[in-house]
Amino acid sequence: MRMLVFAVALMLTTFAEAQTVKVTGEVTKPLTLSAADLAAMPRTTTVAKDKGGVEHSFSGVALRDIFKDAGVTTGRQLRGENLAKYVLVTCADNYQVVFSLAELDSSFTDRVVILADQMEGKPLPAGVGPFRIIVPGEKKPARNCFQVTGIAVKFAKD
Amino acid sequence: MIMRKGFLKYGYGLAACLAFVMGALAFVSRPGPTPYPLSYPGYFGNRINIPADNPTTMEGVALGRRLFYEKRLSANNTVSCGTCHLQRLAFTDGRRFSIGFDGTPTKRNAMSLANSLWVRNFFWDGRASGLEAQAVTPLTDPHEMGQSLDSSVVKLRAAGSYAGAFYAAFGAAVITPERIVRAIAQFERTLISADAPYDRFLRGEYHFTPLEQEGYELFFGGGPVRSVGCSNCHGGPRTLTETYHNNGLDSVFADPGRAGVTGMAYDRGRFRVVTLRNIALTAPYMHDGRFASLSQVLDHYSDHLAGGPTLSPTLRDTAGRPEPLHLTAGEKKALLAFLNALTDSTFITDPRFSDPKIN
Repeated sequence: MRMLVFAVALMLTTFAEAQTVKVTGEVTKPLTLSAADLAAMPRTTTVAKDKGGVEHSFSGVALRDIFKDAGVTTGRQLRGENLAKYVLVTCADNYQVVFSLAELDSSFTDRVVILADQMEGKPLPAGVGPFRIIVPGEKKPARNCFQVTGIAVKFAKD
Repeated sequence: MIMRKGFLKYGYGLAACLAFVMGALAFVSRPGPTPYPLSYPGYFGNRINIPADNPTTMEGVALGRRLFYEKRLSANNTVSCGTCHLQRLAFTDGRRFSIGFDGTPTKRNAMSLANSLWVRNFFWDGRASGLEAQAVTPLTDPHEMGQSLDSSVVKLRAAGSYAGAFYAAFGAAVITPERIVRAIAQFERTLISADAPYDRFLRGEYHFTPLEQEGYELFFGGGPVRSVGCSNCHGGPRTLTETYHNNGLDSVFADPGRAGVTGMAYDRGRFRVVTLRNIALTAPYMHDGRFASLSQVLDHYSDHLAGGPTLSPTLRDTAGRPEPLHLTAGEKKALLAFLNALTDSTFITDPRFSDPKIN
């Protein structure tokens, strides 16, 4: 019995530990962000509608703050060939969405896209969390993707 | 005598020169394999997958086709790839589980090979990245074809009829494990299904019947009838987005699905979304072939979604509860009509894809 409890506890910790977001690609410092890492970073709150059209408040960390830590070309560096960079977000179910780097940058837009870990002050529900992209003001929620596992900054090379 | 000696002397020289020139010519102009023209409609998009080290060639595809139907690749020479991937069933086998060379059933249902060119991760759990990696599993699984690739090499060499085809495909007559799987993968990339009534509709050559039209609108949305959301996962003209979902078959999964590959709790019971191309031909359905008919599949999505922590968010309401589609009898009929319009009779009768020993 004790062994069983231990095994279950071990499994739970393994899964809990394993749920992270990897920040890779055109970065000077690749990151593997856990829930605790996000909690310790500057927090941003924003509002977005669910598929029923009801507004909810989401909080998490702005992608631009994550990019600052990872060493992505933002702000004054976002010019010239760096404008050909894009961000590929990958989710646990293999769903992928793309942003151009410029549309996430504060020198280009006031819109703040976040990697949310809370909805209405609570952890995101099963199947959606622990991490989700929230794009405020977007008409369709298709880029508010669930269970984010990776954020890769890439160069368009064609 | 002197004349003859001279002739011999010059003759040898001439022959040597000629041999050298011919050899050089052959080296320069020896035709390499000819690229295979993979043709597909623009609406399929170009996110295709061909490894740089295994381009698709006429000769490689021809060899791959022979190997696909070659029973010597199984331990007792009774089973080929084509045994469980029958062209007339859009390269499935009509069984819940396939039967290997030794009579043992497989763990999951055989998947259609149609339009694999666009698939990045193979099997129901996506564990093989690429057709080359995929092909190794059924070939060498102890219960499927049950033979190491090294043994296959020995048997193909002994067969004696393959050296020329390997030479044509790979520029070397030597048969290797790698070349066997590469040729099979090349053939599989050519299995493109793009001539169903739905394709003819997309090309403006066919008008849907009213029932097909209603099914199409229910499926994709954007019409006067409601969208039931099929295209959330089976989107686009290829009718799939390559994602993994728990589609509510069970609350507790006997088969861990994608979690068996990733080890992640959130992947329990998730399986790869399959293409619905030729779906009317590929019964039974789901990873374990539990549904014998498309009507049963529609009944499942309509009325029987099982809840659970990993149920796809696309099948939940905003409160997180399972949200069955509640299809009416009329809606089911319309969806069935559209699903039947995905059957491509050109694909299942295309002589380029059949067993070369028969056709």
